[in-house]
Amino acid sequence: MSHTLQIALREVRMGLRNPWAYSFMALFALFMLSLLLIQSQGYVQGYTGVTGTMLNLIVYLLPLMTLMLGSFSLTGEREDGNWELLSSYPVRTWSWIAGKYGGLAVVLLAIIATGFGLAGVAGWLTGGGFDLQTYGLLLVFAGSLALLFLAVSLVVGTLARNRWQALTMAVAIWFFAVIGWAPLLIAVLGLLPYLWVKPAVTALTLLNPAELTRLFVVVKLGAGSILGPEYYAWVRWIRQPAGTLGFAAVSALWIVLSAGASAWFWERRRSRG
Amino acid sequence: MTRAMQRRSGRTLKGGVLALMAGVAMLWIAGANHQVEASASSPSLQTLIDQAAVGDRLTIPEGTYEGPLVITKPLALIADQTGEVLLKYTGEGQALRIEADGVAVDGLRIVDETVKNEPTILVTGDQVQLSHLTIITAADGIQLRGAQGGELRGNLVVWSSQAAAQAVRLAAKGNGIDLYDSHDNLITGNRIRDMHDGIYLENSDHNEVTDNDLADSRYGVHCMYTVGTRILGNRGEGNVTGAMVMNTREVEITGNTFAKQNENVNSQGLLLFDAHATLVRDNQLEGNRVGIYVEQSSDNQLEGNRMLDNFIGIQLISASGNTLTGNQWIGNMADAQARGSVDNTISGNYWDAHRGVDIDGDGYSDISYAVNPLFSGIVQRRPQLQLLFQSPGMLFLEDLYQADRQSWTTDASPLMRPLDMRETDPDRQSGWLVGVAGSVLLAGTGILYYLARRRGT
Repeated sequence: MSHTLQIALREVRMGLRNPWAYSFMALFALFMLSLLLIQSQGYVQGYTGVTGTMLNLIVYLLPLMTLMLGSFSLTGEREDGNWELLSSYPVRTWSWIAGKYGGLAVVLLAIIATGFGLAGVAGWLTGGGFDLQTYGLLLVFAGSLALLFLAVSLVVGTLARNRWQALTMAVAIWFFAVIGWAPLLIAVLGLLPYLWVKPAVTALTLLNPAELTRLFVVVKLGAGSILGPEYYAWVRWIRQPAGTLGFAAVSALWIVLSAGASAWFWERRRSRG
Repeated sequence: MTRAMQRRSGRTLKGGVLALMAGVAMLWIAGANHQVEASASSPSLQTLIDQAAVGDRLTIPEGTYEGPLVITKPLALIADQTGEVLLKYTGEGQALRIEADGVAVDGLRIVDETVKNEPTILVTGDQVQLSHLTIITAADGIQLRGAQGGELRGNLVVWSSQAAAQAVRLAAKGNGIDLYDSHDNLITGNRIRDMHDGIYLENSDHNEVTDNDLADSRYGVHCMYTVGTRILGNRGEGNVTGAMVMNTREVEITGNTFAKQNENVNSQGLLLFDAHATLVRDNQLEGNRVGIYVEQSSDNQLEGNRMLDNFIGIQLISASGNTLTGNQWIGNMADAQARGSVDNTISGNYWDAHRGVDIDGDGYSDISYAVNPLFSGIVQRRPQLQLLFQSPGMLFLEDLYQADRQSWTTDASPLMRPLDMRETDPDRQSGWLVGVAGSVLLAGTGILYYLARRRGT
């Protein structure tokens, strides 16, 4: 446990000195502020055009940012030889991965908090800004996206041999999860028999953290009815507090499975030298 | 003399003192005839009505009376104090039945909480006036059957809060005001809550529905097979649909506000289905699932409506020959969805999602605004894919898809600027809470940065 904490603290320190982290932070903050500027008149509340734009732009930017920061951090360890050194200490691979995850999560959440903090204060000062609940939900949205994609990025960082490979894989995953998702779903589900479509969409959605998080927030914003009669029961369930717990549980499962897979790969490689 | 005073028709008795005298007079009659109890707790109102002459004006003192009541001759039944005269009814029939023409009933509070098929008030006479009634019902509130030229003004109809009534599903509830084969009535200033349809009009022509307040019901106003209905200045909130206009001709819908009809998967502010020659003007549709939904309807004119912050501003399905001008779409998630809707005249509307170019400076964009039919077509075949509504990948795909553009629903010359600035939302909080939350976030991360950079040295 103390190893994990040590590693996490080291990760936070390194992360917050990493120029990458700051350039992402600047990008994210700039982008939150520009969204406010575009919408200088409006007030961000509920599921409206503004909120939708914000959701979509966060979905565009955050997963890519997270995938790159996370996977580079892991491949960096190997490329810089830190891991070789660390392997000679009695640190368990599990503790190490958990520490990496914790530390990187703090860095990412700090970046998001900075962006939202600036946007919140700026919105307040300019007299437009957010409704508190909507602000909270957008923050939860960004945070969940970061935590889920960070878990994916650990797997990427594990499988990739160096930064370049990690970059390629990160972009590919991002493209499929965010942009290619709709075309992919439409193409694949067009071939399936009608009755299989709904179970298939539901299962596939659980496999895509970006869609999962987006839909959760859309429902929580009170717009579940736009998803149509097919998902009536789901929407009703998600709107209750139990839905929040369910989402948290699925997210936790996602994170544990991804981080577990990544730890297993490292351990295998470590034991085989 | 007192008898004469009580029977004096018209409105000469209006006024507190005279009404009080009438009340005293009525109690005196009750005592004299030994037919009606002197105490207000259980006098038979029916006896009084039966004894009254045509054209009488009966002022009822405050108290609790038992229903049912049947009125078979023209007279006025006026509560001495509005809301203080309680008519209770627990049977399976109507609490109040009006069979005669020219009856007026004012200010009664009617409690009729049995779940049943018969309405609380049934009107079959013409020129009947019902005003300032409070109706608590577990059936239809007011039914007009073959009743012409009446007036329903300032009534309140709510669904009972009794356990048996609350157990009734929305689809099985009664309507607030229900018209069948009843023409030329005026329905104004009523408030209707938690009913099936707020105001339901079937085979009833040239009725005027104005300034009513309709909430938490299935449909606010529902027209079936009506001609020349005028729906003006009503407010609807939290219903499944604000106004449902089906199989109608020449309906006018002006100056209504329909907001927050968004809970149900079939919710919309205003729905036109098989509606023809409708005038829809200057309505405000805010925060609905769909602002205006138009299907299989033609020759309708939609102008000057404001679609604000809806999930979908307007949806056109197989709708042709309609005119849309001077409408505004602001802050909607998707401005419009259209399918199979050609030959509509659409121009000079404001779409906030449109980035126009105005070279000749006439205030209208020289680039048209077209509604991409891709998503609409996909979910028609695979409704399950509605899950992808406005997802980033879907928007990306829509940008790529430009086939057969000339057949898209298109605004030929959209407005460059909104016609009026939107007012600030009255229930909008001041941003200070978010300001404080933002400051806390900034301060927290600031400390984190400081610590992380310092401790590493």
